[in-house]
Amino acid sequence: MMLLQLTDIANIIRQLFSPLKDFLLAVVPPGWLMSLPSLTLVAFAFIALIVGLKYNPLGISFIGVLLAIVEMVTLSPSDPAIVNLIGTGGVSFGQFVRDPMADFFIYIVLIVGFLVLMSSTLYGGDKGPYNFLLLISFAGALWVVMATDLVALFLSWEVMSTPTYVLVALGPGREAIDGATKYFVMGLLASMLMLFGIAIVFGVTGTTNIVEVASAVQNIWTTFGTNPNAAYTILLAVVLFVVSFGFKVGIFPGWQWVPDAYASADGSVTAYLAGGSKKTGVGALMRLLVIGFIAAQTQWTFLIVAVAILTMIIGNVLALAQRDIMRMLAYSSIAMMGYLFIGIASATNPAINLEAYTIGVGAALFHAFAHALMKSAAFILVWALSIKLAKRVTYDDLAGLNKRSPLAAGLLAILMLSLAGMPLTVGFWSKLMLFLSAVTAGMWWLAIIGLLNSVFSLGYYLRVLRYTYMVKAPDESHISLPTIPLAAVVVCVIAIIGLFLFPWVVWDYAWAAVPVP
Amino acid sequence: MQVGFAVNILNSLPFGPLAFMLVLPLVGALIAYFAGKGGRIVTLLVTAVELGLSILLILGTDTSSIISTDPEAGMNFITTFIIGTIPVGSPGHPITTFQFILGVDGLSVIMILLSNLVVFVAALSSNHIHKSEGFYYSLFLLLQTGLIGVFMSLDLIGFFVFWELVLIPMFFIIGRWGEEGCEHAAVKFFIYTHLGSAVMLVAFFVLYFIAGSEAGIYTFALIQTPGGTEGLRTILPSLAPMVQIGFALAIFMGAGVKLPVWPLHNWLPWAHVKAPTPGSVILAGILLKMGGYTFIRLGLWLVPSAFTRLSIPFAVLAIFTCIYAAFTAMAQTDLKSLVAYTSINHMSWVLLGVAVAAFAIGLDPTVTSNLRFINAANLALQGSIFMMFSHGTIISVMFIMAGELKYTAGTREIPAIQGLMNRAPRMSAILILASFAAFGLPGFSGFIAEALVIFGSVVIYLWAGLIVFGIFVTVGYVLWMLNRIVFSDPDPEKEVSEAPWSDLIAPILMMIPVILLGIWPDLVLEFTQSVVTFIIGGIAP
Repeated sequence: MMLLQLTDIANIIRQLFSPLKDFLLAVVPPGWLMSLPSLTLVAFAFIALIVGLKYNPLGISFIGVLLAIVEMVTLSPSDPAIVNLIGTGGVSFGQFVRDPMADFFIYIVLIVGFLVLMSSTLYGGDKGPYNFLLLISFAGALWVVMATDLVALFLSWEVMSTPTYVLVALGPGREAIDGATKYFVMGLLASMLMLFGIAIVFGVTGTTNIVEVASAVQNIWTTFGTNPNAAYTILLAVVLFVVSFGFKVGIFPGWQWVPDAYASADGSVTAYLAGGSKKTGVGALMRLLVIGFIAAQTQWTFLIVAVAILTMIIGNVLALAQRDIMRMLAYSSIAMMGYLFIGIASATNPAINLEAYTIGVGAALFHAFAHALMKSAAFILVWALSIKLAKRVTYDDLAGLNKRSPLAAGLLAILMLSLAGMPLTVGFWSKLMLFLSAVTAGMWWLAIIGLLNSVFSLGYYLRVLRYTYMVKAPDESHISLPTIPLAAVVVCVIAIIGLFLFPWVVWDYAWAAVPVP
Repeated sequence: MQVGFAVNILNSLPFGPLAFMLVLPLVGALIAYFAGKGGRIVTLLVTAVELGLSILLILGTDTSSIISTDPEAGMNFITTFIIGTIPVGSPGHPITTFQFILGVDGLSVIMILLSNLVVFVAALSSNHIHKSEGFYYSLFLLLQTGLIGVFMSLDLIGFFVFWELVLIPMFFIIGRWGEEGCEHAAVKFFIYTHLGSAVMLVAFFVLYFIAGSEAGIYTFALIQTPGGTEGLRTILPSLAPMVQIGFALAIFMGAGVKLPVWPLHNWLPWAHVKAPTPGSVILAGILLKMGGYTFIRLGLWLVPSAFTRLSIPFAVLAIFTCIYAAFTAMAQTDLKSLVAYTSINHMSWVLLGVAVAAFAIGLDPTVTSNLRFINAANLALQGSIFMMFSHGTIISVMFIMAGELKYTAGTREIPAIQGLMNRAPRMSAILILASFAAFGLPGFSGFIAEALVIFGSVVIYLWAGLIVFGIFVTVGYVLWMLNRIVFSDPDPEKEVSEAPWSDLIAPILMMIPVILLGIWPDLVLEFTQSVVTFIIGGIAP
C-alpha cells in the first residue's frame, strides 16, 4: 500500500554505515540510542565552541548535522537489532520516543538545519558561540518532537528556545536587541503558561506521561456527568498549551514577536526560526492534542478553528501593509500557520470520523514540511540579497531584479507562487490537502475562509512578482549572489517543483506519520 | 469517424498521445528559455507540431454515437497518472487516489484543435515582441500545456491544476509585455479568476465529501477508468438536488468569471486591452472558451438536472449580458476595447445555448410532443460549441488587426484613424471581412453559430428571441466602427501606412477556418454531434 520511495536510499545509507551502527550498538548504553542524534549535536556544539576559539567551526557543525542525519537513518527504531536491545517503540530515557511522527519532524529540523548552516557561510557562521547555540537549539528541537512526557517536553523546549533568544540578539543591526527582547519576554511568558498547564494536568490526572494523560482524560470525559469540574480544568490546560506552544508557532494570540524578531535577526537564524523551531511547536502541540487530549476533541476544535481563522486574517492583512520583504515574509509565515491549523482543526476524533482525522493530521504534517522548504529558502534568499545590497530589502529594491540577477528573480518568483499555492509548486498540494481536510471534517465554511485568505494573500505575493518582473530598475547593475546560500535555495526550489510532480515521495511519509489511534 | 493511420501514429507516441501533447510544450518551454532569441523558432516548431497532432487526434477519435450507460462516457485514449493516495482505509471507504485522468471525446478534440490553432497564430503574431524573448516564449509554451490540459482532464483535481496553471504565464505575459498600466490589469486578472476558481475548488471538495459519505466512494474522477471505481458522473444523479444545484452555482462562479458573464466580467476589458496582441489573442481566443467548455463539461455533462433547474435564470443572464455588452461596446473609442466587449457579447451566446439545452435534458424522447424540444436543444448546444470555435478564430483576427493599427497608425483610437481604405487597402480588406464575420454575416462561421443557437432557443423559450436585439446593436456598432476607420476620408495630417505582409500572415491564415466553416459547418459539427446527443439524453443501450 505504502510506496515510501525513499526507502531504497535509506537502505543504501544503512548498508554504507553498518559498521558505525554495530559500533554504536556495542558502545552506547541502550537507553541513549534513540536520543543519539540529539546527543551528537550537543557534543558537536561543544566541539564547535572550542574549535571556534581559533578556527572557523562551521565545518564541525556541518559534520555534526550530517552525522545526526546518518544516525537517524541507520538507527531505525524498527531495526531488529535495535528492537532486541530496547524493545519496540524506540523509547529513549523513558521519556522520548521515535515514532513516525517524531521522525517526520526530526527530518524537517535536520534538513532546515543543514540549509541554515549553508546560509551561515554568508554571515556569522565563523564564530564559535553562533555554532554552539545553533547546534544546541537543533538538539533541543529534536527532543521536543520526541518527548512523550510533559516534564521532558518542558525541559527540551527550554533547551531549544533559550539559544534562539541569544541568536536573535546576535543579529547585525541595533534593532536585533529590540527584537530579541520582545522575543525573550514573550518566550518567558509562554514558558510560564506552559508550566502552569503542566501543573494543572498533573494535578487532575496524577501523571505527566502523555499516553497516560490520554486515558485519564478519556475517563474524565466518560464521567463528565458526575464530575464536570475535572473536565473544565483540563480544558483550561488545553487553552494554556495552545497559547504557549502557539507562541513559538506564531499564531494568535502570541504572534506579536514574530515580525520584529524575524526581521531584525540574522537571516539564517530567521530561516531556522521559521523553518525549524516553528515546526517543533507544531509537532509538540499536535502530539498533545491528537494523542493526549483527543477525547476532548469536540471541545478543543472550536478553539483551534478560532485560532486558525484569526491567525490567517491577522497574517494576511498585516502582510499586505508591509514594505519590507523580511517583515512581509514574517507575516506571511504567520498566515501559513493559520492554514496549517485548519488541518489540526479537522483532526476529528478517529473513533468518529477516521477520514477527517487521517486527512487532517496528514495534511498538517505535509504542510509543515512544504512550509519548511518554502520559508527557509525564501528567508535565505532575501537575506543573501540584503547582505549584497547592504540594506534591508524593500519592494523598491526588488525592482528590475530579473535584469540584475535573473536566477534570484526566478527563484523568488517560484517561492512566491509556491507560498500562494499555485500549481507547479508543492504549495499547491499542501494547501489543497488542508482545504480538503476541512471539507471532509464537515467544515466547508472553514475551507472557504481559508481560500478567501489565500486569494487575499495574492495581494502581496503578486506584488513581489510585479516588482521583480514588471517594474524597471533604477540602476541596472548586476548583483552576484554568494554561491553556497544560493545553492541551498536552488536545492529547495528543485525540491518544491519536484514535489509537485511527485508529491507521494513525502506524502506517503506524512500519512505514515499520522499517529495510529 | 476514426481513421486507422491516425490511431496508429497516435498510439506510437511515447506516454500515449495525450500525455505527449502535454509534455511536448513543457520541454519546448525549457529549450525556448535557454534559446533566447531562437525561442521564436522553437515555439513555432512546437506549436506547429501540436497543431498537426491535434488534427491527427481529431481523425483518430471515435465519434460514433455514445450509449447513455457507457461508464467511460465515450472517451478515447484514456490515460491515468497517479499523483498520490490518501490511505483513508476504514472498511467500506476505499483509498482516495489523486490522479490525472486524461481522455478526449468529440467536444474536447475540437477545443484542443482550437487552442492549438489560436496558440500557433498567436505565436506567429508575436513578431513585435523583442523584450526577453526566451522568457516570453517559454511562458507561451507553458500556457499551451495548461490550456490543452484543461480540455483533456477527466478528473476534478487535474482539471483544477491546469485551470490554475494557465493563470501564471498569462499573468506574466500581460504584466511584462503589455501596454501602459498593464501591471494593474495583470493583478486584477489573476485575483479575479483565482477568486472564481477558489469557489469552484470548495465545490469540488464538498462534492468529493458528499459523494463519499453518501455513495461510499471517495473519488475525484469524472468517469470510471479501467480498474477504477465509479466516476462522479454516474454517482451525482443519486445525490440530493440541493447538492447538485450548489455545485452548479459554484461552477457558474468559476466558469462565469472566465466566460465572462455579467456581473463577473469586470476584469476582461482591462486584461484584453492592456495585454500585448498575442496575449489578447489567447485571452479572447481560448481562455474565454475554457469558461464555455467548463459550463458544458462540468455543468451540462456532469450535473444536467441542476442545470435544468437553473435554465431560465442562466438564459436571462445570458441575454442581458449580450445586450449590455453590445451597448457598452458601442461607447468604446479604443478599437481593442471595442473588440474586447464584442467578446463578452458573443460568449453570452454560448451560455444561452447551454441554458436552453439544459431545458430538454431528462425529457422522455418516446413522447412525441417532447421531440421538438429535444431537437431544438440539440441545435442550441451545437450552436454553443460552434460559437466557441468560430468566435475563437474571428476574434483572433480582430485583435491582431487592432494591434496592427497601433503600429501602422500609431494609435487605436477610432476617431483618430481615418481613411484606412485609401491608405492601407490590404489591412482594410482583412478588417472588413473579420468585422462582417464578427457580426454574423451569412457565409462566415459566426452566422452559423448564431443561427443554430437562436433557432434552438426560440423553440424552447420564445422570449429568448430578445437576444436578436443584441445582434442589431452589434451590427450597428461594428458598421459604425468600419465607417469611421475604413470608409472615412483620409486626413492628410495623419500618417497611416500599410502593414507589411509579414504581419498579415497570421490574420490571413486565421481567416481560412472562418470562411471554410461558414460554408462547411459540418467540419466541426460532425465531431461534436455524438457528444451533444449524449448530453441531451443519449442513445438507449
